[in-house]
Amino acid sequence: MDYFLQQLLNALAFGAEYSLVALGLAVVFSIMGLVNFAHGEIIAVSAYTVLFAVALGLQSPLLAILLAVVAAGVVAIAFERVAFRPVRNAPVTTGLLTAFGVSIVVQNLFVLFVSPKPQAVSILNGINQIWFVGPLAISALQVMELVVAAVTIVALVLFLNKSTLGLAMRAASRDFATVRLMGVKANRVIAAAFAISGTLAGIAAVFIIARRGSVTPDMGFSLVLKAFVACVIGGFGSLAGAAAGGMLLGFIEVGLLVALPQEYGGLRDTFTYLLIIALLVYRPEGLLGRKVELGDKEI
Amino acid sequence: MATEAPAAVRQQARTPSGSGRSLARATLGGIVIALPVLVLAAVILWFAPTYYVRLATVALVNLIIVVGLQTFMGNSNTAHLGHSAFVAIGAYAVAILATPLNMKKLSIPDAPFGLSHVVLDPVVAGAVALLVVGVLAAVTGRIIARLSGIAATIVSLAFLIVTHSTILNWTDLFKGNQGFFGIPRVVDIYWMLAFATLSIVAARIFKDSKYGLQLRASAQSPQAAAAFGVNAKGLRFGAWILSGLICGLAGILYAYFVGTISPRVFYFHQVMMTLAMLILGGMGTVTGAVTGVIALSVLLEFIRGIESGVTVAGIQLPQVLGLSGVALGAVIVLSMAFRPDGIAGRYELDEQIARLFSRRPPASDPSTATVEASRELL
Amino acid sequence: MLTIEGLRVSYGAITAVRDVSLSVGEGELVALLGPNGAGKTSTIAAVSGLVPAQAGRILFNGEDVTRVQAEDRIRRGLTVTPEGRRVFANLTVGENLRLGAAIRRDPRGVADDLERFLELFPVLRERYAQPAGTLSGGEQQMLAISRSLMSRPKMLLLDEPSLGLAPQIVARIFDFIGGLKREGLTLLVVEQNAEQALRFADRAYVMSSGTLRYSGPPGDLLDDHGLLKLYIGG
Repeated sequence: MDYFLQQLLNALAFGAEYSLVALGLAVVFSIMGLVNFAHGEIIAVSAYTVLFAVALGLQSPLLAILLAVVAAGVVAIAFERVAFRPVRNAPVTTGLLTAFGVSIVVQNLFVLFVSPKPQAVSILNGINQIWFVGPLAISALQVMELVVAAVTIVALVLFLNKSTLGLAMRAASRDFATVRLMGVKANRVIAAAFAISGTLAGIAAVFIIARRGSVTPDMGFSLVLKAFVACVIGGFGSLAGAAAGGMLLGFIEVGLLVALPQEYGGLRDTFTYLLIIALLVYRPEGLLGRKVELGDKEI
Repeated sequence: MATEAPAAVRQQARTPSGSGRSLARATLGGIVIALPVLVLAAVILWFAPTYYVRLATVALVNLIIVVGLQTFMGNSNTAHLGHSAFVAIGAYAVAILATPLNMKKLSIPDAPFGLSHVVLDPVVAGAVALLVVGVLAAVTGRIIARLSGIAATIVSLAFLIVTHSTILNWTDLFKGNQGFFGIPRVVDIYWMLAFATLSIVAARIFKDSKYGLQLRASAQSPQAAAAFGVNAKGLRFGAWILSGLICGLAGILYAYFVGTISPRVFYFHQVMMTLAMLILGGMGTVTGAVTGVIALSVLLEFIRGIESGVTVAGIQLPQVLGLSGVALGAVIVLSMAFRPDGIAGRYELDEQIARLFSRRPPASDPSTATVEASRELL
Repeated sequence: MLTIEGLRVSYGAITAVRDVSLSVGEGELVALLGPNGAGKTSTIAAVSGLVPAQAGRILFNGEDVTRVQAEDRIRRGLTVTPEGRRVFANLTVGENLRLGAAIRRDPRGVADDLERFLELFPVLRERYAQPAGTLSGGEQQMLAISRSLMSRPKMLLLDEPSLGLAPQIVARIFDFIGGLKREGLTLLVVEQNAEQALRFADRAYVMSSGTLRYSGPPGDLLDDHGLLKLYIGG
């Protein structure tokens, strides 16, 4: 029972992290059709900002958290201004490849100017504690991750349903031109999408730093690959799909970890991806995706 | 769906009349594209030191990979990030099949299926390796062909990760992280040149064939192409298999050239590099693939010189790791922003030459014409 | 209020509108008629700012708005109800109306206007919390016009309000449009359905093949049946 609860919490915490990152991808994709491969580098930039701040004398973990989240939001907007705006109206493939290029550039800038090796960041290690509840040993980090992810998602849903900008973002995911006719500025909607996407990545970054205690140039990349998979499972561009896909991915991974014999542990990724590819054979549009025939007019 | 592709191939076999001339023209076009490569190689062979011959041979491997990548990506207009998986499969297949028994006893003594007791002639092993690549391409192609552009890209990436992680972790068969050594080194630059030319011609023939045209038309305007009865899924499936086979061939040749392979050679770095080459040259044409490989190979060699620490005015500068990565990424970003059609643009080399010599622009790309015409109607 | 001078709109090599000049005076209802593909919608798209004008000027209230962003034209009081209604299918009826008032900063006024349209079209109140995609075509058109009016425009451009709707519903919608004119709103209505569009029109223009073919009082068009047929083909 103990073991079961522990694994359940594991799955929920992993799932929450994937959901946060996948939601960030989905928000940007749904509005401007950009497959943002550089999303992981938003996480990396956030983490390296904390690294630099600590090197410059930052001591307060609370400030470090704030800094991580703000840096992620700012760098996401910066990516849009510098790299993605020139290809805004280009075909999906062009945007995808641009983002892939941005990702490579940023990763290698850290290699070039910092180091390819992991750099220790211990300022947030305090979050990573064990709570003892009766006979149970619970990871505080995992509980917090779950709670924060849930609160964040609720806040995002409220924003999208209550604020005018949120309404405009939802509307823009289907018909950007008509949203502009309502007097909502295209740049504002897109900047908001990137700010939200970056903030979600920054929140994920806080937990990643706390768990790993170090940063590496490619720390965001592999995570974002999984988040993409979560998006594909859920149906690309669907926000609910991204959140659900992330959760499902967490459960698949932990489930495989439990089910696979020790000597096959290294093959966990292989099995995870194979499972997902198998799923896509039966539901090419994902679990919650709309089956859209190309050229369907929104009525 | 996928079963319609072989039907299409059969149809092609049944209709030789009329296509004979365009086949000849496509073949000739392919040879024209390969010509600069052959000339460059000849210059290097005659004038340059041995080090550059080796570099040129590795560049030819990249050329074959990029041509393979172009076959799928250029015609279907779907980003493909998993092509290195086929390179890896081709390379490891010949490594397992053709490595001499005494070497295998050292490297993979516990290989399953009795593979540690089998050794094949390099040519036979190569043929079997291509068959393995073809089968895996058919399996993955069935999925890829059904998916939309983005999901297909993600799945191609997932395929790369699955392949890499399998090779890395199934140590009994693949020897894992350590290098797989002792592969017979039976390929030299001449063989490589021959196969590179062959790949270029094959890619060009496919591009100019009815199927290539239809696939490009359907990538540009799915509805219009569907209205003309184009079977987009079957065509994507076919292009994926051809692309996989060419990439697999590159892997086989690479293994036979260097003799030692390891999984990380066929991972993200190779994907990034070959992708940047194709984008820089222009993914719409085979000429673009060739141009990009030549241009970026030269640039990367130059950067590698700086990275390993150059001596300026007697001072040895430190190593600057990551510079080539930054350059590769920047090449992709800048190409996409300023020249999405790449250096070569929309026309093949022979078409550009023909344009130079005739006032009249050549018959515009039929796929574009079809789409344009159907757009008018819609 | 709105003056278009020598407008040209092209998509690549294809010119959809060439040298079109027209004007709409304050309080007028002007009909812009023409068959399918005449360039009417391209004209509207240029006026709304969604496609650029290759040549010519667009003046609104005496100011040159040719280079003004689409988002900013509505702030000056120029609102467009696009062809095919384009309600936000994934938003509720209420959310559609609220988004129509996105440029306004007077919550109380917005609430009053909202109430007014729910009063006017009871079906919108009934379906207030449902996705707009579930409405019928006619209901969607009413929602689209109401959404445009939520911005309190000085001038409204309606692109093909009759598109794909049954005749009785078209008549109802034009009754409503006539009412808007009586309230003093300036309107430019683009239509294929000449009969309905001319019911309340002060003046009419006819376009075909991208150019203006006729401008004048609607009476002449209706009287001279041959003229209307010639341009509209029915």
